[in-house]
Amino acid sequence: MKHRHLLPDEIDLLLDNEVGFGVAPLKAHVGECDECRARVEDERRVVASLEASPHFAPSHTFADAIMSQVPVFVPWHVTARDTLARWLPQSRPARVAAGVLATSAASILTAAILWVATQTDVLAFASGAASDELRSLLTSGARALLSVVFGDQVSVMIQAMGSTAVAVALAGLSLVAAGSIAGLRALALASSRRRV
Amino acid sequence: MPPALDLSNLPDADVVALAQQGRDAAFRELIRRYERPVFSLIYRMVRDRELAEDLAQDTFVKVLNHVDRYRAEFKFSSWLFKIANNVAIDHLRRRQLDTVSIDGSPHAQSSEAIEATSFDVAVQQESALDELEARELGSAIERAIAGLRPEYRACIMLRHVEGRSYEEIAATLDLPLGTVKTYIHRARHELRRSLDHLREDSG
Repeated sequence: MKHRHLLPDEIDLLLDNEVGFGVAPLKAHVGECDECRARVEDERRVVASLEASPHFAPSHTFADAIMSQVPVFVPWHVTARDTLARWLPQSRPARVAAGVLATSAASILTAAILWVATQTDVLAFASGAASDELRSLLTSGARALLSVVFGDQVSVMIQAMGSTAVAVALAGLSLVAAGSIAGLRALALASSRRRV
Repeated sequence: MPPALDLSNLPDADVVALAQQGRDAAFRELIRRYERPVFSLIYRMVRDRELAEDLAQDTFVKVLNHVDRYRAEFKFSSWLFKIANNVAIDHLRRRQLDTVSIDGSPHAQSSEAIEATSFDVAVQQESALDELEARELGSAIERAIAGLRPEYRACIMLRHVEGRSYEEIAATLDLPLGTVKTYIHRARHELRRSLDHLREDSG
């Protein structure tokens, strides 16, 4: 190392304050060679000037100008979490009390559901009543629909013919609706193909 | 309303996560942290205060509008500097293409055509903004930086003004590590020569 001057890469190692096995002989050479020492010091002065370069500040309206072009969206899960957080008490004892209350309510509700599930005759009665209610709701809804689509006279006629006629009429209506949708879809497809 | 957060002590990744949750304060904190470094980088690239401010705004708008695409394994500041460098380089390339010779169109065939396509440059009065620019960019080192190629300028500033490692600069500028080292070495060499010339000229 004593017999030649430092290569550019070796000067870079010294400028970057690298430490390692190969750096010690370079430092030793710089200590002995005036020319290399002058080169390293020159480069160090450049680096020092660069490192002393300040950051410049933009105008005071910079941040506002940016934010006026950045729409800030709050994702739905964050909104849901924030809403939940608003409902939760802030203090620790109040949170513990709310937790105990919620756990008790959940336990009572679970026990009640389990008890009802074991009472088969109560369940059979309740499900029978519910299915009757549902059937009467569906029938009245279907009649109202038929009356709107076909008019009151047809509705009365279908009603006179019984529930089979209601089912046939509804099936006919479904077929007409499906046919219309298929026709519109075919028209849309044909139109898009023509555009291409 | 979520409780007010003190964001100044949080690492970048956490502030970005809050921005992804739509916290306005997190967006402002990211701007506060990086407005000066980003503006300085672009200002030193384009050397026009007003233009640098517009380009720095474009940089932040691009980054903040796509903050949901940010991946935590990449440093936020590297991503930001990458966009800033691209915005500045794109502008410099466009400006190079748009440059019109004051001596007339190069496609002009006759002296009349040359005269018709040439124009006079009006002497502009130095505005307050120009004075500010002269004061900010007038030092020997700033003039020496201005003489560098834009690629060298970006590398040397990221290395010695922003204190980034060679690896970070390579990732930020999408350059091979060896190229970054070469650019920085050449930039230092050119800066030293420019500073020597400036010293000789003033001496």
